[in-house]
Amino acid sequence: MNWVTTVPLQAYVTLSALLFAIGLTGVLIRRNAIAVLLGIELMLNAANINFVAFWRYRATSSMEGQVFVVIVMTLAAAEAAVALAIILNVYRRFKTVNVDQINLMKG
Amino acid sequence: MIHALWQALLSGTFWQPLGFLLLAAGVLLPALAVVFSRNIVRAALWLLPCLISVAGLFVLLGAELLAGIQVLVYCGGIVVLILFGVMLTYGVGDPDIRVYNQQLWWGLLGVAAFAVLVNLALTAQLWPPPPGPLPPDVTARLADALLKQYVLAFELASVILLVAMVGALVVARAPSAGEEPRQ
Repeated sequence: MNWVTTVPLQAYVTLSALLFAIGLTGVLIRRNAIAVLLGIELMLNAANINFVAFWRYRATSSMEGQVFVVIVMTLAAAEAAVALAIILNVYRRFKTVNVDQINLMKG
Repeated sequence: MIHALWQALLSGTFWQPLGFLLLAAGVLLPALAVVFSRNIVRAALWLLPCLISVAGLFVLLGAELLAGIQVLVYCGGIVVLILFGVMLTYGVGDPDIRVYNQQLWWGLLGVAAFAVLVNLALTAQLWPPPPGPLPPDVTARLADALLKQYVLAFELASVILLVAMVGALVVARAPSAGEEPRQ
């Protein structure tokens, strides 16, 4: 769509930083491994907003920003599938998915 | 008069900041609900409006194809996958379960410090002025870039996806009858 952008780049980058901070909060404070995975998805989305925003404001002549986002989304899908498989296996082994109760490798 | 108003509406000077604010609220408030919701099913469902708002931001930035991929892959794929993961584990509906681990306050403190640092860095920079209108053939150029210049990365990503899917199947497979369960 062919409009002139009136929102400053700082707004997008600040939004992305806030979203990343929220996702990081989820990764740090939640006990359920699936909730930790949700936090990681939020952080990946924050990165994607940054990629597209900088592409739009700095480099529309080349497409690297959008190519990065496509690759990040592919890897996010792969990461979610593998992480859920691991979580299922952990649940079978420990009968819990709380990350602070899974301490087999704790010294 | 009506024509001029319509032009102003279409030109983006009027509704673009408004749309950005609405979409920003639509990203951040559901994101907070994702992190602080006690019920993991609700947390996973709150991810949906957050991801759809991110797709709206992509449209606002002129990346319509990415918005479509975002809705298809994230909302249609990853959220459903996560809901299946929630269903296959336990303890989700228990209201008395402890949601946060012992590092709640240290975690919040660290994240607040991170947000302050990032925002200091943001205000310290010189920012480029808003750019002009986009060239019209963005999606066609994205396809060109993916299938010519970056075809190696594109194909490698598909190989990684295949390997990850097969690996996930192998890892998640229930041990069959005569087989020793993996330790």
